[in-house]
Amino acid sequence: MTQIIIQGMLLSGLYALIAIGFTLIFSVGRVLNLAYGAYLMIGGYVYFYISQQLGLPKGIGLILAAAVGCLAGLLKYRFIAKPLKGNHVAIEIATLILAIVIQSAIILVFGESTKILHSLVPGIVRLEGVTAPWSNILATGLSWVLIIAVFIFVRQSHTGRAMLAVSQDPKGAAICGINGEWINMVTWGISGLLGGVAGVFFASYTQLSPFMWVGPLIVTVAIVIVGGIGSIIGTLIVAHIIGFLEVIVVSYIAPELRGIFTMLLIILFLIFRPRGLFGREELA
Amino acid sequence: MTIKSWLKPVVSGVAISAISMASLAAEPIKVGFIGSMSSDSGLSGLRAAEIAIDEINNTGGVNGQQVELVTADTREDPTEGIKAYEFLAESAEVDFIVSSSIDDVSLAWMPRFLEYQIPTLDTWASYVGIIDMVKDDPEGMKNYFMNVASDEALATLYINFGADVLKAKMGFESVVILAEDTAFGEAITGLVTEALAPVAGIEVKEVIKYDITTNDFAPLFSKAEQSGADFIYQISTVNAAGLSAQYVKLQVPLAMTGVNVAALGHEYWTDTGGAGAGISTLSPIPAVGLDLDPVSAEFVATYQSRYTSRPVMPHFNGFNVYHGLKQALAAAGEVGGFGDGWSAAMEKQDLKLMKDGELWLRYGWWQHDEIEPVTGRTYPHNIRFDLSEPFDDGAPSMVVVQWHEDGKPYVVYPEKYANGEFVLPSWVPAK
Repeated sequence: MTQIIIQGMLLSGLYALIAIGFTLIFSVGRVLNLAYGAYLMIGGYVYFYISQQLGLPKGIGLILAAAVGCLAGLLKYRFIAKPLKGNHVAIEIATLILAIVIQSAIILVFGESTKILHSLVPGIVRLEGVTAPWSNILATGLSWVLIIAVFIFVRQSHTGRAMLAVSQDPKGAAICGINGEWINMVTWGISGLLGGVAGVFFASYTQLSPFMWVGPLIVTVAIVIVGGIGSIIGTLIVAHIIGFLEVIVVSYIAPELRGIFTMLLIILFLIFRPRGLFGREELA
Repeated sequence: MTIKSWLKPVVSGVAISAISMASLAAEPIKVGFIGSMSSDSGLSGLRAAEIAIDEINNTGGVNGQQVELVTADTREDPTEGIKAYEFLAESAEVDFIVSSSIDDVSLAWMPRFLEYQIPTLDTWASYVGIIDMVKDDPEGMKNYFMNVASDEALATLYINFGADVLKAKMGFESVVILAEDTAFGEAITGLVTEALAPVAGIEVKEVIKYDITTNDFAPLFSKAEQSGADFIYQISTVNAAGLSAQYVKLQVPLAMTGVNVAALGHEYWTDTGGAGAGISTLSPIPAVGLDLDPVSAEFVATYQSRYTSRPVMPHFNGFNVYHGLKQALAAAGEVGGFGDGWSAAMEKQDLKLMKDGELWLRYGWWQHDEIEPVTGRTYPHNIRFDLSEPFDDGAPSMVVVQWHEDGKPYVVYPEKYANGEFVLPSWVPAK
């Protein structure tokens, strides 16, 4: 049981961070950014290049991963989401294609083979026979710090409240003088930033690969659909449901079925509760 | 008959012959290379083919014919593999195909091989089922050769490692198998499960299968620990670096050996960010860390002077392509091409590479009726391996390589080829 709790908490924290950025964009921009997984890949590879290939301090690698993720988000908004505004299907197709292009670029520069990131911090801790690297604990802890920061930002800051307003009623927000385009751009930038950082944590927890964007994207879609699109709280809760579900399936049922239950969950919710557990389309 | 009238047909005949010879000399032999162009093993094979062909062309080609290389990318995907084989056969119209395909891809294009009957050499795929096809259908498979020891031979010698080292030296009594859910994983799991207990006296406590998309191995290692086994036998071809790095990062308190494809290349240490110590894997030969005979060492020197990007050392299939392609072309040279007589000429090819006066590597073939004494079965058109000391009839089917904490790979088994000891990682308690 201790193993399930520790491994479930570590994995779920990462999933929650990954999913928050995705849910922000859907709530404010009303589009599924299928290139979201590519933010993770970009963040992970930037960190790898800076801290492992150039040998610069890990903190600089993390900051640059966040910055490049943010920049990628802003560029995606400017050159894809904004010109295709209103055509959600076109945005989804374009972002999916972009993810594949980024994957090919990564292969060209770094090759196809898996790379392993050095631990963020060295050492392990053993608790009742369960081992957890300090690096994973730190990654999960920092994920929570970021999640809470996003939550406070959305609820307390002027820009955050403007994001809430745009997500609830874009036209009403515009009438009140909120610049919807600016808010959208900020949201895409924050989403990219969160994705870039999540990529470093996720790659540090698992590994870096040009194909690493697919798995987290599926998990993210599952979390957002089951949680209820637009619900930050729902996202956090369902990230934990899915994280724990995966660990329990591996430990007690059959490891090869790990991802199947997540898929089944998506189908079940789409059929029986399309609004999700905490369903609403605006940010909350 | 005047001299003029007598000379006319002779001159015409000479002219026609000269034109035919010229056109023959101008027509190159086309060799197709099929493999993944972005993987280390694929690149190893491709570069080895380039080197072998250049060396042959620089010495006048094959009976005066130059050799030309055509490539087809499989992307390690069975469907792409079929398309690649069809491209080589139908569009490029190659005379011979050398493959560095993985097992699943070779199995995918095998029906195309049977259809086109283009002489083909496999240098990476080791599925014994293909050798069984040669056994069952010698005529249909006569143009197929595999110069890597079949997986059954690999597993057989590994079982000896289990008995000699894991059981006798380390005192391990039980194992938990951690295998990816692939055809290769299934095959090796079956072979190891069936033989480890009766031959090496090691009990298989549990078999844990995992999906190849798995990237969080912590719960799997916990499950392995809970099985109560003394060591883990891993079977990992996909995501193998991730598996071993997490083993090191989590400091799993069990020894881990088995098949780890990532550990077969020199880039393993950098790919795992140094988190790769203690991992051991069986490897076809010539393996990473293996001392080389002079001929193979010269090939490596050429390779390294010509290519500076990864893989910095050819994988085992690179050696197989280099030597095997030269043998295939030599056989074609003997019988005037890749037609009917080629297969019989290829069967007679036998390259013995010596080191310090001893047989070190051998590129020869098991013949149709020859029975391998340890397994008691035949392996027609499979490379001639040896499964018992002193390995004087062929090289061993595999060696066991272990990456030590100094970041270097060592061959730890069998003794004749060993240049290091099998050791436990520092965090694993001795039994």
